[in-house]
Amino acid sequence: MKRHGIALAGPLALVLAAFFLAPALLTLPTGFREYVPGQGITAGSWTLDAYRDIVSDDFYREVLWRTLGLGLAVTVICLLLGYPLAWMIARGPARLRMPLLLLVIFPMMLNLVVRSFGWIALLANRGLINNLLTDLGLIATPVKMMFNLTGMLVGLVHIYLPFMVLMLVAAIQNVPRDVEAAAMTLGSTRRHVFLAITLPLTAPGILAGSILVFVLTISALVTPRMLGGPTYRVMATLIYDEYMQMLDWPTGSALAFVLTAIALAIIWAANRVARRWSGMGAVT
Amino acid sequence: MEMAPGRIATWAAWAVIVFLQLPVLVVVLAAFSTTSYLTIPPQGWTLAWFAKVLSDPAWLAAIRMSLFLAFGATAIALALGTAAAYAIARRMVPGADALTALVMAPLVMPSVVIGVALLQFYALTGLRGSIFGLLMAHVVITVPYIIRAALTSLAGLDGALEEAARVLGATGPEAFRLVTLPLIRPGLVAGALFAFITSLDNVPVTIFLISARQTTLPVLIFSSVEMGVDPSVAAISTLLIIATGGILLLAERRFGFHRFI
Repeated sequence: MKRHGIALAGPLALVLAAFFLAPALLTLPTGFREYVPGQGITAGSWTLDAYRDIVSDDFYREVLWRTLGLGLAVTVICLLLGYPLAWMIARGPARLRMPLLLLVIFPMMLNLVVRSFGWIALLANRGLINNLLTDLGLIATPVKMMFNLTGMLVGLVHIYLPFMVLMLVAAIQNVPRDVEAAAMTLGSTRRHVFLAITLPLTAPGILAGSILVFVLTISALVTPRMLGGPTYRVMATLIYDEYMQMLDWPTGSALAFVLTAIALAIIWAANRVARRWSGMGAVT
Repeated sequence: MEMAPGRIATWAAWAVIVFLQLPVLVVVLAAFSTTSYLTIPPQGWTLAWFAKVLSDPAWLAAIRMSLFLAFGATAIALALGTAAAYAIARRMVPGADALTALVMAPLVMPSVVIGVALLQFYALTGLRGSIFGLLMAHVVITVPYIIRAALTSLAGLDGALEEAARVLGATGPEAFRLVTLPLIRPGLVAGALFAFITSLDNVPVTIFLISARQTTLPVLIFSSVEMGVDPSVAAISTLLIIATGGILLLAERRFGFHRFI
């Protein structure tokens, strides 16, 4: 039995050890190497310079805070936009459920680069929105909506909103309708039922969706690169630049490690909270 | 009495649906438009951009490369992943939980970190720019979807069915092929579809590993957009939109794809 098991799982374990685990572990020491501009990495050196730079240098700190701020903003917007839609899918007319669900899944399945390209066509200085507003005489000069916060927010919300909606649909479907009906029978207003019953009961779904969107947002490379451009940078695009353009691998590695640590810490913390919630559910 | 969506929630929901389809509509309109920039309403209709893209060797090579990687990675991930998931689900391996954590880890790690890790590793081992290296990278990022789908399907399966087949004289592999496999097939197909789309979609890992000579479709679109917006990019994007929509509708018809999301 055990022998069969190892024969079945072994090949995949080997592939992952060779092409995932080993590379990830080998990248870690690079962050502690010395980097000399123009010469590259000094072999055998050990230094904390790269990490010290990330913590103390204003540029790196700005990028770090911008990344986390974006993550938070995108999460909150996705939650606010996603809840009504998830509600509609879970509780609206049954004949609309499947078409609406497919209209949420379709953009999610669609190539990331294609979606960001669509937003460029809409948001660029000579893009659709600016042309339309100019033709209508509402603006004289194009409004800058790309290579800044606006473009980044719109693009990232669009990419991660479907994930949030699907999480929320599952959560709303799990709310027992009897409880809501009981509260209504006892004279609660719709508003009060929503705030006192539905919202708290969907909290685990809200948490799961928020964590997912936050972690995906702070890790995103393609959309920030396409809509943020080469100047408005976040951590993932900075890691890309350090590795591919500056060839400063120590700083790139340190940034990659910090990004991974943040993502893992948030997932770990959320799992603890979720476990405590389900524990409370068992008690009551 | 029922908490059905009110009027405001309904309007908000439809607005969000429109928002989600907006960039898709714009790309498709741009692909058929005669002008090289986009106007509403479009000034004229043409198929010229499609003809241009489909006769350009660079785009065709990128399409071939992407399809090769997606089919190859999905097939390898399906074979290795289903076998491993079976061993995990039936508790046939020591440390099944640790193994599950390892195979799901590429989903949790930021893609860009996987990208730079493989870049360094391939630079060290001389695999940089090789198709084999790229294929293995795509196996790593697609296999979690196969494992998740296979584990979910296997968990919902009564182990007694396979035992019954064994009692009736089937060998282990026969019982798996004739009893278990047909029962978990819908889940596996959904997982494979996810894996395929993930591979076809990937930029953040691929971009670190490709060589100048060979590139994938999304990476080529990505670098073309950095050069400037061109309707041929819209045309190739439209082909991807049609393919994605077609696959999704087909998958939904055949086995209710939304159940596996």
